[in-house]
Order: sequence, then C-alpha cells, then structure tokens
Amino acid sequence: MSDVYVVGIGMTKFGKHPDRTVVDLGSEAVREAIRDADIDPRRVEAAYCGHVFQGMVAGQRVLAQTGLAGIPLTNVEDACSSGAVAVREAALAIRAGEHDVVLAWGMEHLTGRFRGALTPAEDDLEAAVGLTMPAIYAMRARRHMEEFGTTRRQLALVSVKNKRNASLNPLSQFQTPVSVEEVLASRPIAEPLCLYDCSPVSDGAAAAILCSARRLRQLTRAHRPIRLVAAALRSGEVETGLPSMAFEPLTRRTAEAAYEQAGIGPEEVDLAEVHDCFSIAEVLRVEGLGLFPVGEYPARLERGEADIGGTLPVNPSGGLLGKGHPLGATGVAQVVELVRQLRGEAGARQVAGARVGLAHCRGGKAAGIEGAACTVNILAA
Amino acid sequence: MGEAAAASPGQVVPIHPEVFAGEGGGEPLLVGSRCQRCGAFFFPRRQVCARCLSAEMEVVPLSGTGTLYTYTVVHQSTPEFPTPYILAYVDLPEGVRLLAPLVGVAADQVRVGMRLRLRVEPLRTDATGRTILGYRLYPDGGGA
Repeated sequence: MSDVYVVGIGMTKFGKHPDRTVVDLGSEAVREAIRDADIDPRRVEAAYCGHVFQGMVAGQRVLAQTGLAGIPLTNVEDACSSGAVAVREAALAIRAGEHDVVLAWGMEHLTGRFRGALTPAEDDLEAAVGLTMPAIYAMRARRHMEEFGTTRRQLALVSVKNKRNASLNPLSQFQTPVSVEEVLASRPIAEPLCLYDCSPVSDGAAAAILCSARRLRQLTRAHRPIRLVAAALRSGEVETGLPSMAFEPLTRRTAEAAYEQAGIGPEEVDLAEVHDCFSIAEVLRVEGLGLFPVGEYPARLERGEADIGGTLPVNPSGGLLGKGHPLGATGVAQVVELVRQLRGEAGARQVAGARVGLAHCRGGKAAGIEGAACTVNILAA
Repeated sequence: MGEAAAASPGQVVPIHPEVFAGEGGGEPLLVGSRCQRCGAFFFPRRQVCARCLSAEMEVVPLSGTGTLYTYTVVHQSTPEFPTPYILAYVDLPEGVRLLAPLVGVAADQVRVGMRLRLRVEPLRTDATGRTILGYRLYPDGGGA
C-alpha cells in the first residue's frame, strides 16, 4: 500500500453564518488548504466533497470559486460521515496510482434549514413513529446507565470537557466553558439528554490536501507532512435478535480494519477525535474503538483521563459538542485537528508529544440496521 | 407521491407497507417474517432473509406482549409529533425489538423491564386527511 500524506489543511470558523452561503464557506476552507500546502492550485488533480443537505453538485460550485474547475470531482453523501468518506476516497485515488495530489473537503450550511432535532429519512419506519436522533441516543444512554451504572452527572462531564476544550479553539462554535450544573439545568430534549448533551446546528467547512509519497519529494514546504496510515469504512449490518444498545459492533469492526491497516493497536493511539454528536455518543465511540474498556469510560473520564494532559485526550478540538457539527464538514475537521496536533501547532490545546491520532465518524440511522456509515481514519507524525 | 395524489379523506393507510396483514378483511395484525432455513426473525416482514439470503420466508403474527428494553421522553421533535411523548423499545419473545409510542402510563412510572402490550390503533391524520394506522404500547393489563 503506497503512502499518503496530508500536506495542507484549512477550516472556517464553525457556528451560525446566516449571511454566508455554503459555497462561500467551502471556498474559504479550500483556498486556505491550498495556501497551507503552498502549492499551485493547478497541481490539484482531483477532488472529493462531502455534504448532506446542500443539493446537487454543490462541490462543483466551490471548484468554480477556487481556480479548480475542470478536474474530476465526486460529491460524497454518507450522512455525518460524508467528510471522512471524502478523505478516504481521496486516499484511495492516490493509493490506486490514479492521482498524486487530491483535495478532500466537507461543508454544510444548516442555519435556516433545520431547527431542532434531525430525524432519519422521512419514509423510515422508526421516523414514522416519532424517532428523532436525540431520542435514539437518549435510549442508548438509558441502556448504558442500566448496564454499567453510568450516572447522569458522568454524561454531563463529556459536554463539560468538550466545551472547555472548545474554548481553547478559536474556530469553535462555543467559546465559553459550561459547568455540570449548567448542563443538567439545560432544557430536556429527549430524557435523560438535555440541550447541552446535544451537538448544535452549525455551518462551516474544512479541507485537506492529500499527496502521494513520490510527489511529496517535489513539494517544498515548511510544515512536516503527516501520514494517513489508515482509512477504514464500513456500513451497518442488518440487525437480528436483541443486541445491546450500549455497545457499537459497527464502530468495533471499523476500528479493527483501521488498526490492521495502520499496523498498530488502540494502545498506541495518543489522541482521538470521535463522533460526539451527543454526550453518550462519545462514551459509545471510545468503548467501541477499544480506546477504553467497555463500560469504564464514564468513570475514567471523571478521573480526567480523557482531558488534554490526561492519558488519552478525547476531542481536544472541542468535538462536535463544542466545536460544532456542520454535518459534511465534521469528518474533515477531525483530520484538520489531528494534523494541527501532530504538527505541534494546536496552541493552548496542544497534546504534548502526540505521534498517532485517530478520527472516528458515524453517520446515519435507518430502521433495521445498526447504523449507516462508520469511518476510522488514523494519522501519524 | 402518486399514492398521496390518489388519497381520499377518511381513507385508512398503514404506517408502513410491510407491518400489517389482514387489512382487506378482519382486524389488521402486526406481522414479521421468520426464515424457514436459518430461523432468523424480522420486523417489518421481508421477502429475503438478511442473514442467509433464503427467500423461504414465513409471515408470522407478532406476539402482543413483551418487555421494555429502553425508553425516552421526547421533548423536541418535528411538527407532526406534539411533545412530550414517550418512545420505547419492546423486546418480543420471538426475538425482535420494536419501537413504538408508549401511552397509558406516567413518564415517572416507566421502568426498564416492565411488561408491555402492543395495540394496533389509528395514530394520526395526515395532511391529505388520511388516517394513519399504526401501533402503540401500553402497560400490560391495559390501564394506567
């Protein structure tokens, strides 16, 4: 398998941008990634764009604004994993030898499009009986509490940690830390989850330039390149029987594929950006990834093990809960954060000595399957 | 879309095309499918087994009672679902888990493991005046 490197990154501020368009946001992130890679835009040979609700050929509209029109472009939709899948597709194109320099970006403009809870597809059986995304995670939280004794306060600590980390990230939607009491006092959304247990409605974009090993030697740039050592994707299996809702086999299977590609185990991961769309989601992700033993994460989080400066920092960027969650952009923004961390350019939230970073996304819900799309990308300095 | 255009007010339509049997004659029954080859059970019913790909699928009525696996009280939803409401997953003896609204019990009385009963009922009227036939969960015994 030929090596793939990330040589340029760009990201807009995440948050509410009612006066900007998705093309405007996407173009900003793409331009910044090209500038950061210090390459002529004409060197970019192909592009993959992740988005969910931005309509037909949104990616091509960004190419037209960034000097890239004419190259092969693929729009990618895999719900909340769309951006991460775009990164993987870019890496596959390089590994296949088809291209040497490929752009992957994700973007989403949700302000004004949605208010409140997202739901599965309209014709989904569970959506038809009233299921919302917060409701499914609330029911999974209830099971984690039931099976492992997880407390409501421990779940709140996920949001407290991630909003604290977000306050150290100038591009985050939330810039102010919150207390456990504030999380618990925020209005109920789907019990036991409250407003501050849920990721917000966000607009934003993030971009990365990927490059082959042979082309890397021709690039002259100051940053050290960061190697993409795994890019794994799995779709959810049909559920049969009565599986536990407090554990994620889909995340476990995707992680195993990624660890095998990277030739490492979970114990070698120094920091992780995981799909914390809800507070309970971070618990399910890190346990599914094998980064913490099943059922133990809430207690270990309480002891500070997942803090910046802890044994395994989780979501130092602020995660979806703190940084924001513009769906298609999220998976690329995780890669942007890992590259900053592995370059040693993460400023106040820098994880000391970070060598290996893992990014996990999980997107989509449909009745009868365990989840839709799951990705694990691993980067190494 | 063609279906909606042909709708007439007062028409009763199932919440999903593969959840009921017997709409034509007597009382509609909630049904699933059991694979004749590997024994896997599915709800809603399906033509091909997702586990072994056999097409030998038997349509089987669901048992009416089961155990509450997990639940939530929903406080924010889409406009067609007035809040608050309780949603619960019930585990049925045939080895299938089903999501439905839970009614007939106060939110603070709901417990994991409690016995629940399924009832086929009209759920709401859609924008074209059609009655949506679905199902709800009640505490077993029926009362509040």
